[in-house]
Amino acid sequence: MTERGASGQEQVWAAPAGSGGRFSHFIERHPVLIFTTPAVVVVFVLMVFPVFYTLYMSLHSWFASSLTKPEFVGLANFKRAFTQDERFRNALWLTLYFTTLATALQVFLGVALALLLNRPFRGKGFFRSIFLLPMVATPVAIALVWMMMYNPTLGVMNYLVGLIRLGPFKWASDTHLVIPALAMVDTWEWTPLITLITLAGLASLPLEPYESALIDGATPAQMFWRITLPLLRPTIMVALLFRAIDCLKTFDIIYVMTAGGPGFASETLNVYTFQVGLFYFHIGYACSLLMILFALVLGVSLVLIKTRRGSW
Amino acid sequence: MVIARRIWSLGLILGILALAVAATSEAAQFNWQQFKGTQIRVLLNKHPWQAGIEPSLKEFEALTGIKVVLEVYPEDQFRAKTLVELTSGASSMDVFMTMPGQEGLKYMRAGWYQPVDEYLKDASLTAPDYNWADFLDKARDAMVIDGKTIGPPIQIENSALMYRKDVFQKYNVKVPTTLDELEAAAKALNGKPMTDDGQPGFGFVARGKRAAATSQFAGMLFAMNGTWLTPNREPAINSPEAVKAIDMWGRLLRLYGPPGSENNHWYEASSIFSQGKAAIWLDANSLFPVIEDPQKSKIIGKVGYAVFPKGPNNHPGGTVAPWGLGIPKTSKNQKAAWLFLQWATNKEQVLKLQSGAGVLGARDSVWKDPKGRGKVPADLAESLAQGSKVGTPLWNPPVVAVAEVRDAIGNAIVTSIQGGDVKAAADKAAADMKRIMAETEGK
Amino acid sequence: MRTSRRSGEGPWTYILLTLILIPFLFPLAWMFLSSMKSQVQNTAFPPVWIFKPTLNNYREVFIKNPFFTFTLNSMVVAAGSTGLALILGLPAAYAVARFKQTGIALAILSARMAPGIAYLIPWFILFTKLKMIDTYTALILTHLIVALPLVLWVMIGFFEDVPGELIEAARIDGCSNFSAFFRVALPLVKPGIVATSILSFIFSWNNFLFSLIIAGFKTRTLPIAVYNFLSYEEINWGGLTAAATIITLPVLVLSLFIQKHIVRGLTFGAVKG
Repeated sequence: MTERGASGQEQVWAAPAGSGGRFSHFIERHPVLIFTTPAVVVVFVLMVFPVFYTLYMSLHSWFASSLTKPEFVGLANFKRAFTQDERFRNALWLTLYFTTLATALQVFLGVALALLLNRPFRGKGFFRSIFLLPMVATPVAIALVWMMMYNPTLGVMNYLVGLIRLGPFKWASDTHLVIPALAMVDTWEWTPLITLITLAGLASLPLEPYESALIDGATPAQMFWRITLPLLRPTIMVALLFRAIDCLKTFDIIYVMTAGGPGFASETLNVYTFQVGLFYFHIGYACSLLMILFALVLGVSLVLIKTRRGSW
Repeated sequence: MVIARRIWSLGLILGILALAVAATSEAAQFNWQQFKGTQIRVLLNKHPWQAGIEPSLKEFEALTGIKVVLEVYPEDQFRAKTLVELTSGASSMDVFMTMPGQEGLKYMRAGWYQPVDEYLKDASLTAPDYNWADFLDKARDAMVIDGKTIGPPIQIENSALMYRKDVFQKYNVKVPTTLDELEAAAKALNGKPMTDDGQPGFGFVARGKRAAATSQFAGMLFAMNGTWLTPNREPAINSPEAVKAIDMWGRLLRLYGPPGSENNHWYEASSIFSQGKAAIWLDANSLFPVIEDPQKSKIIGKVGYAVFPKGPNNHPGGTVAPWGLGIPKTSKNQKAAWLFLQWATNKEQVLKLQSGAGVLGARDSVWKDPKGRGKVPADLAESLAQGSKVGTPLWNPPVVAVAEVRDAIGNAIVTSIQGGDVKAAADKAAADMKRIMAETEGK
Repeated sequence: MRTSRRSGEGPWTYILLTLILIPFLFPLAWMFLSSMKSQVQNTAFPPVWIFKPTLNNYREVFIKNPFFTFTLNSMVVAAGSTGLALILGLPAAYAVARFKQTGIALAILSARMAPGIAYLIPWFILFTKLKMIDTYTALILTHLIVALPLVLWVMIGFFEDVPGELIEAARIDGCSNFSAFFRVALPLVKPGIVATSILSFIFSWNNFLFSLIIAGFKTRTLPIAVYNFLSYEEINWGGLTAAATIITLPVLVLSLFIQKHIVRGLTFGAVKG
């Protein structure tokens, strides 16, 4: 591991040569302040206003209008969401279902692929560039292409599964299949990321444990379960949580592909909030839903940061 | 007598002079150039009307000296953007496309429309030949909300019956005029070869996607003598008639329609129909350009257009739905915007749009004009005229929270398509409607 | 590292590789193929595999849409937000790494956690009041919310890898804090900077939600253009896939050439050690 610099606090070194003046002296004494303030200020201004606005509105009820003002209702919105709003509970469940399914699939596939690919071969660079493509393609565009492919009557997916005597399926038009179908799109898009991260992790594993294991006569399977996996765990955890956060917030592909349908079978929290706010005009209630989603993401993020810190 | 004749001719001359003065002074009172130098921001939905009017905007600018800054967005984005702008109270929009049946009541109650009644009555602001009475009755009425007119209609459409003439002929099935005949026809034609390479197709295709389906379903609801609300504004969506309608819509799609109908918007339905894979399509007849476009359709010239089938007891069905233009109350150029609204819907422009771009305009005189039909098929023009007389303007529930109520009702439709308990779903929709209305209209 | 290195270069490896690549490439290939079909061919079933390709869709896309404007807008916003994110984020990442300011890191990273929609209406109100709607400035600022945490997330790792001794040595030689950062640390993390810039550029390029609401007519970006093909009349599949191909092509080409840096950037944010 690398060595750390001075502990958190700035220590005044011998007076630096060159630039004099009170300002540069100020920079010297407070590098943390100078270096980080611009970024923090920008984020603060851009982010704090919306977050406080959302928080403020979440405590109010407002049916968008220029004639009526928002009305303070305290925690009524939150109470309503959890106790009366069936669609909210559905959305919460679907969000967790989608996130768990997609994340699990991606991580499993991604790690498996990484293990398979962890061998030298020529053209590794070329392969990696192709493999990257799903991640960098524009999500909105890709989602629409998948919609085309998923069309039960005209899409190519049914044709392909027909070739192996399966289906036809209704894919994203089927109440029970829609979440898996969407999860498949997300998996397609992001498995490469998991694979690449895992490959990098594999590349940085120390050799000693393996050497001593070989001397002790361990089988490849034992080496995998007892050495590789445990050593990879931090890496995998980070990738997993990273993706989990993004899956919780997924909006583009779901909205573009099904808008929460059929019925409400794919209406995750994000999509539901969009409907409530921008189509039903219940701005206050929408803001409270956003706060709930934010809290959910925050929770998972904290776990991520703690894990990351553990390996620092 | 000579004197009498002199008085008579004097009177005649005076009369003519008076008329001349009146005529010129009237023309002098209304001046297209009165807002010369202003700039108006116009937001339009991506739509055949928009595509048709865009090339003519330069004419407007030359005529009035008003500069038009045009912004066009696809429907979903257009709604989101308009809503965000209006809610912020800080919008700089001057004109926007609006569908009163969809958002009219909400926008009016939120104080977002600038009514134009005063402008219509003001001779200095309205051209003398504008002729407000020329617009089709139901279209004009639909633009009046809470007693105030919000703007002119620009297009009118019906929920209509579109069918494959060739398929009906081939299998010797009568074109349905009632709902029972419709079901019989769908059943008879389902699975019969009907594509150009002899593949079998569906008997029936239509929207099933939740809220989107309700606007077309409305035609069937009406035909069954059902309605959205009782006279004292209680939900009527679970009345026996309404339940029959929901049941039928779902049944037709489930038994004779494509799989996955519950996720189909008009895009998917039109694709299936124009690929030749369905015998009957119930949807907005303003979508006819899709079916008649050689680049996109395999069934050109094979499609018949008819009025929405009647229900039991010969009760008429179908809907009448206009698009219109409106002015936001926050606009700083309301009167200049009104000039635009007028110009875009005067007889000349409507004729041009209808005969050229195939936009189903809302002016009676244009429909009566032989030039006015343009590319619109004859049976479509006829059925439009007929349908617009008998159809219901309530293609959406007349509530404030239209989108939310549409979703609640749409959910019942989806349940019906999937073969679930329709009565229970309808009851739930009614309960949801009641709750939503209490929350959004009680104040 | 696996010590069991069997001859990994046999034909099986390449077969395996191809098998793995196929499902990942298929949708992209399908997108490209569809862009060269007519609407009738695109809505045919069974799907048409052999057909005469047409460039009509591309022609239509360019004629009916100001694609050059879209591209220019996307470029300006992506470059602007990336540049700004680097200027603000690099010093901050350095400070966090060197002085262990995890609190500040958390503060900035939390921006990444809020759902995008939460920002929409407040930003719209803010920018409207400042008369900044439909300006590049507004768009660049909103894209910063994604770019800045990204820069921080990745660069903290790179800065941590800069050996402390080098910095100490520079300081002893009389370097100011700023010089230590600028002249010593920064050159050492150049690969990281390249990686981050590319990633930030790509994510800004692909951003849809913010541009939807904040961009106006003059500043519309490319993802919005794709959505334009969902019009009132139909889904123009050929046009849509042509637009989608055009939009994804630059990033695809970019990543092909710079995949090494992208991979380093993405993995550095995750892997430590």
